[in-house]
Amino acid sequence: MRKNDPQPPVSCSDYSLWEKRMLTATFLITVTLSLLSLSIGKYPLTPALLLGGDPQAVRVFLTLRVPRTCMALLGGFGLGIAGNVFQTVFHNPLASPDIIGVSSGASAGAAFGILFLSPGIFSGSSPGLSSGGLPVTLSAFCGGLLAVILTLALGSLSRGRFSAGKRDASIVLAGIAVHSLAQTLLMTLKLLADPEKELASIEYWLMGSLGGISLYRLPASLIIGVFSALGICLLHRQILLLSLDESESRMLGVSVGKLRLTVLLLATLLTAAVISNTGLISFIGLLAPHTARLLTRSSRFPTLLLGGLWGSLLLLAADILARSAGSGELPVSIFTSLLGAPFLIWLVIKGKGEP
Amino acid sequence: MTTPFFITDDLTTGYGKKTILNNISFSLEPGTITALLGANGSGKSTLLKALCCQLPYQGRCLLKGQPLDAMSPRKLAGALSYIPQQSGVTLSLPLIDVVLMGFNPRLKLLERPSSRQKTEALRALAAVGLAGKEAEDYLTLSEGQKQLCILARIIVENTTLLLLDEPDSALDFHNRYQMMQILQEMILHQEKAALICLHDPVLALDLCHQLLLLKDGRCIASLHPGSDSLKQMQEAFSEIYGPVSLLRCMDRHGKPRLVLLSDLQKGALS
Repeated sequence: MRKNDPQPPVSCSDYSLWEKRMLTATFLITVTLSLLSLSIGKYPLTPALLLGGDPQAVRVFLTLRVPRTCMALLGGFGLGIAGNVFQTVFHNPLASPDIIGVSSGASAGAAFGILFLSPGIFSGSSPGLSSGGLPVTLSAFCGGLLAVILTLALGSLSRGRFSAGKRDASIVLAGIAVHSLAQTLLMTLKLLADPEKELASIEYWLMGSLGGISLYRLPASLIIGVFSALGICLLHRQILLLSLDESESRMLGVSVGKLRLTVLLLATLLTAAVISNTGLISFIGLLAPHTARLLTRSSRFPTLLLGGLWGSLLLLAADILARSAGSGELPVSIFTSLLGAPFLIWLVIKGKGEP
Repeated sequence: MTTPFFITDDLTTGYGKKTILNNISFSLEPGTITALLGANGSGKSTLLKALCCQLPYQGRCLLKGQPLDAMSPRKLAGALSYIPQQSGVTLSLPLIDVVLMGFNPRLKLLERPSSRQKTEALRALAAVGLAGKEAEDYLTLSEGQKQLCILARIIVENTTLLLLDEPDSALDFHNRYQMMQILQEMILHQEKAALICLHDPVLALDLCHQLLLLKDGRCIASLHPGSDSLKQMQEAFSEIYGPVSLLRCMDRHGKPRLVLLSDLQKGALS
């Protein structure tokens, strides 16, 4: 068995130079975009003005620009790594948070929040449309979580029927059912909504925006998001084992059922923590992990991080465009979709994203 | 009386209501390789799946006196290793990472493989002839090289019972023998046994200690090439492969070897 002794522990234990380089490069672009994002907006900000202590400039900077940029950075990162998890766990390169009903659940939750939980938001001095206040965020978060719990519960009920094959389809099937259920609920709520303001608010929420972020709402989402992102990073080795056929990973000592449940819940928490603040943001969860995979041609830990960074980068870029392309503020999903759709077509033409 | 190393007693299993295997009984001795032979659809893969508790079964399977279906999943994974016909690695991963997956039953949930384990994985890759390729992408390998890589994973798993489902299906002539020799070396000096589905009876006769012949879900014969008579083995083979001739001949080093030839029949198409 010992034909030739292996070379002294080679660098393969570490991550390759290429992976490190890609991470550094993406990080630097993201930092540049963050600086750009901090300086672009209706109110002109310059470093001189800020350092000079202009009170108005400092206030705009701290209450508007910083939270918004942070949200884009962290939200994009979260969506990027959650997308990677969904694609790995479901063995499906096109899987997104919606495959188990997170986004549709959150949408229905947000609509519910806009209709019933926030009577005050339209009476006051709310300038134009907003994606709603704290009740909407909470309601969206709970909606997303509820939908996923329902999906997972249904998926485990049906065990044995659809799980006979190599790959367990029961969760995906349950996800489709919950997704359409939530869509129906959303439609009903839209019918009930007052078309002038409530319906418009729902539509606006569905297109996503980083406009309504405030410093006060961030911490709770931040804690949930960091907790679940850390969990995902720590469990990454196990998540890769889930990418094998179920029988194979079980024989490698993975308790497939429990682990899959944990990982999906973490990814859901992460997604819900982001989109409950921003509204639906399309394509980032699909685009970012694939970009990372195409760049590194690998699925190791650096690719997970790189996917997160690309998520930040794309969301920042989309948000900058949303703020500056038109005269007013545009929904961010317009730009993520503009970037995402051609990419998706390219991905389909190229095959599964393999080299 | 000592407890037998591994026995399967009266095992019956199937998918849903469809019974595939009936009353299979056999035993494995430590330090031996046992081949499962049989035509397509005779239940070879099903037997392996049942042994790794992926299918419910009636009957008993005892490894050193302990029933397999009563073991915790983690303990089972530490005692058994299993290669399916095709490994389900679908992501681009360097070979070393694929091999390191074999350490998982021994690692804690969040623990990472140690550098000693990495060295061990490199050694296993070298043993299967993939030295220097540890950073290559698994998905870009040929099917045969993939099987060798998974064999390296089995080496590091270091379990008591090895269940391999046609691990040689994509291997070339040389690598087939190489694989069997690696298995022999793994098993010979340790308390291990391997049960392996093969399509090549010559390879099985040459390098396995025991041959189990399956036909229509039943075990029709258990052969020991070292001690059984040629005539007896030839008759058993004829039952599953049609008329065959079993010959004993000398290789160029003067060692007696067994060769199986299918009797040519005319008019297969007419």
